[in-house]
Amino acid sequence: MNDTLHILWRLLKLFRPYWGWMVLGILISLVTLLANVSLLALSGWFITAMAIAGLTSAHMNYFTPSAAIRGFAIARIVSRYGERIITHEATFRLLAQLRRWFYEKLEPLSPAVLQTYKSGDLLSRIRADIDTLENFYLRIFLPMVVAILGCTAFLFFLYHYHPLLALTEGILLSLAGIFLPLIINKLSEKPGSQQIHTASELRSTVVDSVQGMGELLIYGAQHQQTERLSDLTEALLKDQQRMATYSGLSQAGLGLFANLAMWFLLLIAIPLVVESSLSPANLAMLVLFTLASFEAVMPLPLALQRLPETLAAARRVFDLADHSPRIPPPTTPAPQPHRFDIQFKQVDFRYSDDTPWILNNFNLTLPQHGKLGIVGSSGVGKSSIVSILLRFWPVQSGQVTLGGYPLEHFSGDALRRYFSVVSQRPHLFNSSIRANLLLANREASDEQLIHACQVAHIHDTIMALPDGYDSWIGEAGIKLSGGQAQRLAIARALLKEAPVVILDEAFEGLDSRLVQQLIPDLFAHLQEKTVIYITHKKAGLDKMDTILTL
Amino acid sequence: MSIPAFLKSRKKLAGHALHLSVGLGLCSGFLLIFQAWLLAQVIQAVAINKQPLSHVSLWLAAMLAVFLLRALLAWAAEVTAFHAAANIKRQLRQQLHQHLLALGPAYLTGERSGSIVTTLIDGVEALEAYYARYLPAMSLVVLIPLSILIFIFPLDWISGLVLLVTAPLIPFFMILIGKGTERLNKKQWRKLARMSAHLLDMIQGLTTLKIFNASRHEATLISRVSDEYRRSTMSVLRVAFLSSLVLEFLATVSIALVAVLIGFRLYYGEMDFLYGFFVLLLAPEFYLPLRNMGTHYHARLEAIGAAEKMVEILETPVSPEGESQHKDYVIPISDWTRIQFDHVSYAYTAHQPALQEINFTLKRGMRLALVGPSGAGKTTLARLLLGFILPQQGAIRIDDQPLNKETLSHWHKQLAWMPQTPHLFHGTVRDNIALGQVHASTRSVIEAAKKASADAFIQTLPQGYDTLIGDKGQGLSGGQAQRLALARVFLKNAPLVILDEATANLDPESEQLIQHSIDKLAQHKTLLIVAHRLQTVKSADHIIVLDDGRIAEQGTHQSLLTTKGLYAELVTTLEAE
Repeated sequence: MNDTLHILWRLLKLFRPYWGWMVLGILISLVTLLANVSLLALSGWFITAMAIAGLTSAHMNYFTPSAAIRGFAIARIVSRYGERIITHEATFRLLAQLRRWFYEKLEPLSPAVLQTYKSGDLLSRIRADIDTLENFYLRIFLPMVVAILGCTAFLFFLYHYHPLLALTEGILLSLAGIFLPLIINKLSEKPGSQQIHTASELRSTVVDSVQGMGELLIYGAQHQQTERLSDLTEALLKDQQRMATYSGLSQAGLGLFANLAMWFLLLIAIPLVVESSLSPANLAMLVLFTLASFEAVMPLPLALQRLPETLAAARRVFDLADHSPRIPPPTTPAPQPHRFDIQFKQVDFRYSDDTPWILNNFNLTLPQHGKLGIVGSSGVGKSSIVSILLRFWPVQSGQVTLGGYPLEHFSGDALRRYFSVVSQRPHLFNSSIRANLLLANREASDEQLIHACQVAHIHDTIMALPDGYDSWIGEAGIKLSGGQAQRLAIARALLKEAPVVILDEAFEGLDSRLVQQLIPDLFAHLQEKTVIYITHKKAGLDKMDTILTL
Repeated sequence: MSIPAFLKSRKKLAGHALHLSVGLGLCSGFLLIFQAWLLAQVIQAVAINKQPLSHVSLWLAAMLAVFLLRALLAWAAEVTAFHAAANIKRQLRQQLHQHLLALGPAYLTGERSGSIVTTLIDGVEALEAYYARYLPAMSLVVLIPLSILIFIFPLDWISGLVLLVTAPLIPFFMILIGKGTERLNKKQWRKLARMSAHLLDMIQGLTTLKIFNASRHEATLISRVSDEYRRSTMSVLRVAFLSSLVLEFLATVSIALVAVLIGFRLYYGEMDFLYGFFVLLLAPEFYLPLRNMGTHYHARLEAIGAAEKMVEILETPVSPEGESQHKDYVIPISDWTRIQFDHVSYAYTAHQPALQEINFTLKRGMRLALVGPSGAGKTTLARLLLGFILPQQGAIRIDDQPLNKETLSHWHKQLAWMPQTPHLFHGTVRDNIALGQVHASTRSVIEAAKKASADAFIQTLPQGYDTLIGDKGQGLSGGQAQRLALARVFLKNAPLVILDEATANLDPESEQLIQHSIDKLAQHKTLLIVAHRLQTVKSADHIIVLDDGRIAEQGTHQSLLTTKGLYAELVTTLEAE
């Protein structure tokens, strides 16, 4: 419970810049609710009072109530519109805030901390969690606060007529709005998690069908697969049916409790009318008031159903954001090296305390404009050297220097200014080719772009695309082939014009014929740079001054 | 078929459940009218006629019964509606799956596979709201207001007229305003999806951003994109919400009008209180289904979005090209001696032939290697032989029997296949080796694994042959997956084996073991290998060199080397690696 409140409080604190919008949304939603209930209650009173006045031929001031009816009607119409506008405005503002906050928290953690959460599973979970949190205000927080405020107002109103009326209404409102949803949630917990499990089994089966269809056909397993799919569909439907039964129960219960509240009110109020402590017109008013008041708790079942899931999402996101970065920023201003030679002195390195040493008493000297080839099979620490140089990971002991300055004296950003890297699986962003290239150098001219692409042997491919450099390359570069994406990444790295260039398995996925053509052009272009070339193939090693085998 | 027509045509799959659900909803509507009548009676008795509680106890008791019955009906309607949708979901998913199997792997290339999975899972689920909520709601939106009118008119024609006149205005305005904004609305939701994709893209590429020192800059970009999105969305929503404003306005004004008209007639003694109060109770209920229409409309939009993909899949005809000329006789293929490609051409898209005029013969027992630069058509040729695609021109003959739709299932029995990246199914190691061979004995599975040099690493897995692998299970390395796929090949023991060598780097140990197993396989089988390794090519009986969709040259390793053509060039680059 304490933990729950703590998380809620953190979430609200995160949204602090927009508290004004949040409160405004709550207030206007409350106005809508109250206007609606008042309109119905007053109409009931008005009709009954008019009928009684008509029967007793008494004079009645009908101007005030009919003006009030008009007033409530207009208030309801206008505030409903305002409510929608303001709550959506607030939601979008919160969304922007949440995204920016999350990104800024995550940025210093990459890649050292994030790498421990390797799988793509985590990323899609983060996405789902952020999406869930975006609904927190509109679907959970707002309806709950409005229900609490609205119901409190209703209970005070009824108490004014008779304490017993407030008591029965209070009991039935909380039964419908809190206890019934909680019981239903408890009941659906098991079938709910069962349903998630079955759905994910079903998804893997369909993924199998689609990705492994060739094997299914050749090995004659398609009937087996069809049967499995149909079994899982049945299982899923069975889980869903149980969930539908419960959700039907929750809906039916809400209506039933609203009706019962009205029924008990009649039971209590009718004797009051008989003993003249309640006017007959007020009886009609209270009946309609009670029925309408349940509008306040209508969204609560859904909100309560979503609450645990939202809290879990918030907990996960906060857990991730609470990690402290692996490398603390330096306290002194960054040095400005004038030469770019690299030295590793007696370096020991491993990723964590319980994994084996990757580098042990490792020494390396690379003069400025030197060309170093590093070869060795996978897993021997070739890429770790890159991670250390870019200050993504700290070394356990020993010293690494750039231009004579120890790396610890640079902040990550200051250091990376001097490096350009093509990694094994470079990430291309879901935007145009031009935007992906400009990432490396925002001021690059068109000539520079084209020149870099020519060196990387990708210019002709780009020009053959319908929109040339403005072609959209799709999520993670899926519209490009692996080799094309790799060459684009090489062009991007060339654009950066950094004094040290690292090619980390940069030709992975390229046709060997293409590699033969690319290597002379690329290394001619890199003549004036300090180059580290990591590979497990022979191609290009003849251009190196030194070759280090790990 | 248009998408709404498609959705309607599936309605019959629901059986009677859909009608039953509407019927239950209608019964509940009648009970609601009855309940209003009972309540009006009670108020009339107490407020107007000053009767005590004991005089209305019968009404109150009846009311209690109506409450319970209505709750029961509401519950039953929900459950029945679920059943209606369940029937449709069940059959549709099965139908889609069957059709995909019939279309074969050629249809499932590249980015399409992801969206197909989404369609079969989430797409089918998205239809539930359409059939379980939207369709019943659409019937009730007519039936319930109509029933209420039938009761109101004889009692109070003035109020009846007010309701009757305003009711059609609501859908009219909703459609009028809704049409335009609906499109904009949809666009906005797509934008939102794109925006969350953008965030994910940033997070995935965070290391790359850092390398280029662009990660701080992106933070401002994220909030700028979000802010721009908010502004453009709000400008759309301000208009979109107008439609509900109009609806709210019409409903509220006419309820108020009914109330005021009744009030004055009661004041001047022109109307019975019972009727007046009864009509006042029903007026909001009259508009309720209409007001709820908006919420269900979203379900329709979602269903249309999901169905778009389904129609696309179901309307893709099964292998339009390569119709057989010999539909009347099919001889089971078993003791074949040669496979012949006779002027075979194939193009995935018009004017871009992937293979042209391919002629060669593969004799039983031969070991044939296929080489060539990437994009030369090696994979297409393998696909043709696998029957995933059929020749658009020319024919593939097994002895004299052409390979076509009819002979394909027999042909598949003759084949075993190891693709470049074998698919591991969600299940145990054993299930994966015994794919399609449910009755294979444990001994034969282990034996196949041993031949494929897979037994040793399987023994080290936590549960040996019962270890779960695939999507949700234990991860295997590329080399291990290849060896499992080889075990499949050994277990099936088919006369022709098609192997697609992995281009990705396998660990040296796997590479050696696989090579060894392939040599073992070649002793008894006919082999077609899409080769990427010099070692494999050298040991082949015959080599076909493809370039740009045509056979550039063919022969043995030695003979091709002496011609100093494309093959000689390829060998040099292979040696350089």
